[in-house]
Amino acid sequence: MSNYYDGLLKLCGFEDAEIENERPRIESSFEKLGIVPADMERANSWVRQNHDVSLEGVRKLLGAWLQELIDLVLSKEEGKKIVYFGFPAILGPGLMLSASSEDVFVSAPDMVLDHTMGQIFNKLTPILESGEANGLPPGHALCSLWQAKIGGIASGMIPVPDLALASSYFCDMGSKADDLVAAQYEIPVAYIDGVMDSKWGEFPEYLPERVHYLGGQINQALEKAEKVLGIKIAPDAWERSQKESRGFVDNLLKLLELMKSDPVPISVVELELLEALSGSSTGRGIREGTKAMSILVEELEERVKAGTGITEKRAPRVMMAAGHCSDPRVTHLIEEAGLAVPLTMVLSWIGGPKIEPKGDYDTPGEKMANYELAAANFHGTDASIKLFEWGSKVMKLDGVIAHYLYNCRPAATTSHAQKKYLEEKTGLPVLALEIDNFDSRSYSADSMRTKVETFAELVKARKRTGYKSLT
Amino acid sequence: MKALDKLEKHLKERLSELSKEKEKGHKIIGYAAGGYLPEELVLACGAIPLCFIQAGNNSILRRSGAYICRWFDPFWRSQIGFITSGKDPYYNIVDLIVVPITDNHVRAFSNTVGYYTPGKELFVFGVPHVKDKLALDYYLQGINRLKKTLENFTGVEMTDSRLQESIGLCNRERELFREISIMRKSGNHMVNSKDFVALNHGSFLADKEFMIDILESYIQEVQDSSMLPKDGPRILLTGSTLARGDSKVLDIIEDCGGIIVMEEFAEGIRPYWGRVRVEGDLMSNLAESYFMDRICPGWFRPGTERLDFLVNLVKEYHIKGLVWYQLIYRESYKVESYFFPDMLRKETGMNMLTLESEYDAMETGPMKTRIETYIETMRR
Repeated sequence: MSNYYDGLLKLCGFEDAEIENERPRIESSFEKLGIVPADMERANSWVRQNHDVSLEGVRKLLGAWLQELIDLVLSKEEGKKIVYFGFPAILGPGLMLSASSEDVFVSAPDMVLDHTMGQIFNKLTPILESGEANGLPPGHALCSLWQAKIGGIASGMIPVPDLALASSYFCDMGSKADDLVAAQYEIPVAYIDGVMDSKWGEFPEYLPERVHYLGGQINQALEKAEKVLGIKIAPDAWERSQKESRGFVDNLLKLLELMKSDPVPISVVELELLEALSGSSTGRGIREGTKAMSILVEELEERVKAGTGITEKRAPRVMMAAGHCSDPRVTHLIEEAGLAVPLTMVLSWIGGPKIEPKGDYDTPGEKMANYELAAANFHGTDASIKLFEWGSKVMKLDGVIAHYLYNCRPAATTSHAQKKYLEEKTGLPVLALEIDNFDSRSYSADSMRTKVETFAELVKARKRTGYKSLT
Repeated sequence: MKALDKLEKHLKERLSELSKEKEKGHKIIGYAAGGYLPEELVLACGAIPLCFIQAGNNSILRRSGAYICRWFDPFWRSQIGFITSGKDPYYNIVDLIVVPITDNHVRAFSNTVGYYTPGKELFVFGVPHVKDKLALDYYLQGINRLKKTLENFTGVEMTDSRLQESIGLCNRERELFREISIMRKSGNHMVNSKDFVALNHGSFLADKEFMIDILESYIQEVQDSSMLPKDGPRILLTGSTLARGDSKVLDIIEDCGGIIVMEEFAEGIRPYWGRVRVEGDLMSNLAESYFMDRICPGWFRPGTERLDFLVNLVKEYHIKGLVWYQLIYRESYKVESYFFPDMLRKETGMNMLTLESEYDAMETGPMKTRIETYIETMRR
């Protein structure tokens, strides 16, 4: 028996049988989320307008996000112990907890809400407003990702977690907002602390003390999680989680190889669905997402063979920090201006040049910390900027849109320095663009159009006049 | 107060005195505010510590706009403005800048020094945000690296006896600040908050031994004075930063008849409650005192230690009103300002007033209205 949401779910890659099997869960979760028949027309047109649904891989990816949403919303009533981690995160601890018990659900709920209530249903605003009314008011440059998390909990859409894993190694806001959740709902917090105390220019070097400290903090958080959740972390959890995420990484590397083609075969809007899923889900979402990627890789190989893509051939190529998480129109704006985006800084964490981790460490925490510090992810500001520098070589770029998140302090530290640094080091034109990557109410596509279009004209003119890109 | 007059005169002459010290070969070590640099280490190698504590003027923020976006704490944007403009002579005179990195606002400053002023010698070390054994070890490793850097930089070996001597000096300074602060528990209002803040700010720049004399003289003057009971609500002023030059909120509270009897700030007020032990491993003792024993700032997680401390201060100092003075975009304090009022009300029955600043003169009017109203409600 069909229902009002069947069409949308099929558009998002669900098979008929899947819908039938999931129907009670879908309806229960939609009820909690306030999704009603009247939302379907808008959601259908929003998805078609913003995503390349001619690709099965994209449809399945959207479906993977929806599956993660359903699991998230129902996790409490289905008897799961819930762990929320802050984004961006070192995913290893979450993966290990997931791999150790089927009764534990580990996720970044704010990212799930952004990609589903934002990118699929276009209904994120009331959730953000609820976050603003419950401790994170507007006008103070507070994180809109956290507004979504607090808003989701306060409005009863997503459950209160049993444990918060705080990403205390990156932003101050996130851990402090975990304190807010702890104060309001009396939940325990496991802080994974670290200090981004690199001196400018230090990357790719880092002190072993940083590995010991961050790694030790991860190990302590895992011990606390065992106590709070009443589980035992499986001895092989680290190896298994590594093995399970291998498929995702391999597929991502294949996709990035395809993105070197001219024209680029797919919009960065869809790549954002991938990059974000890998940093948000440790359960069904990422498993289904990996399958979707396999399909997508095959589809894009066909496009590359056929020489087709989403921009004109020889369109100037630019790199950006990350696609928009809740409103794809912001990301599309760049491509609509005639620029191809083969890479983001976030994707370059995986697909960029590899810095070999230094030293051997025994514990899972130290292994994770060592990898993350070598990969630049949580190293410091100049490490982030160097990812752009490398990306410009790997993807033969013609320019860089070095946008920075105004309400994310660790990201905003790059606001001015990255433009100067990249222009000097690469000779490429760089547009420093202030953005809110999770909330487009103030930073809409239209508010940035003039800047992006002007920049696109500049880059096109340079390319027409024979300026050589880096090789 | 004669002691304060003497301090003011000393500070007026301080720059020329420092120039002479430089000529004699003494190194001047500038450091970022926050209270995590043990001055003992600088003093023990014969160098002179100077804390960058000036801010409060909105015009320097405009200068920082060429280097960082506006979404950072105005105190740290002020430091960026000063370091890049050379408008604070203290920044120009230092030989080495040390930045204990606490949160991302401080990191923005450290990046600016590293990238935009490569001619300035810079040393950074991290301050963890949690208190446990691992964090203590990490902090200790940081100050040990600093010790080596200072020894190399000055060419002076930091022997235990030198370090013991400098710890003794700094302990004496902390003890004197503590003594002055504790005097305010009683109804003797001779210790004016503005004086206390001026002494604190002066201590970041003044010669250490001179400063100790000043504090001793100040205490003597207070003890020799007659009691001056005042009729006004006793106020606890708290926040992230109380910079030298940021006196607006102090002035307004005083003008409105409030009496500030306690200031709790992470930056701008020296942590004076602790004492560093002089027996055993001195570096470990410094780490223990500066990191573990100190009441943590708002960017520690969880921040409950500081919030509990505030509640205790309210009780111990017979506080009638708490003014939470935060600088805009310092997110840790902003988030805490949402859930702390409930905690405060539950523990003390008191409401608090939250104020926010970007060092803008335009804030004065609305700020005055809010403070007047708050004090008025306390008087009823």
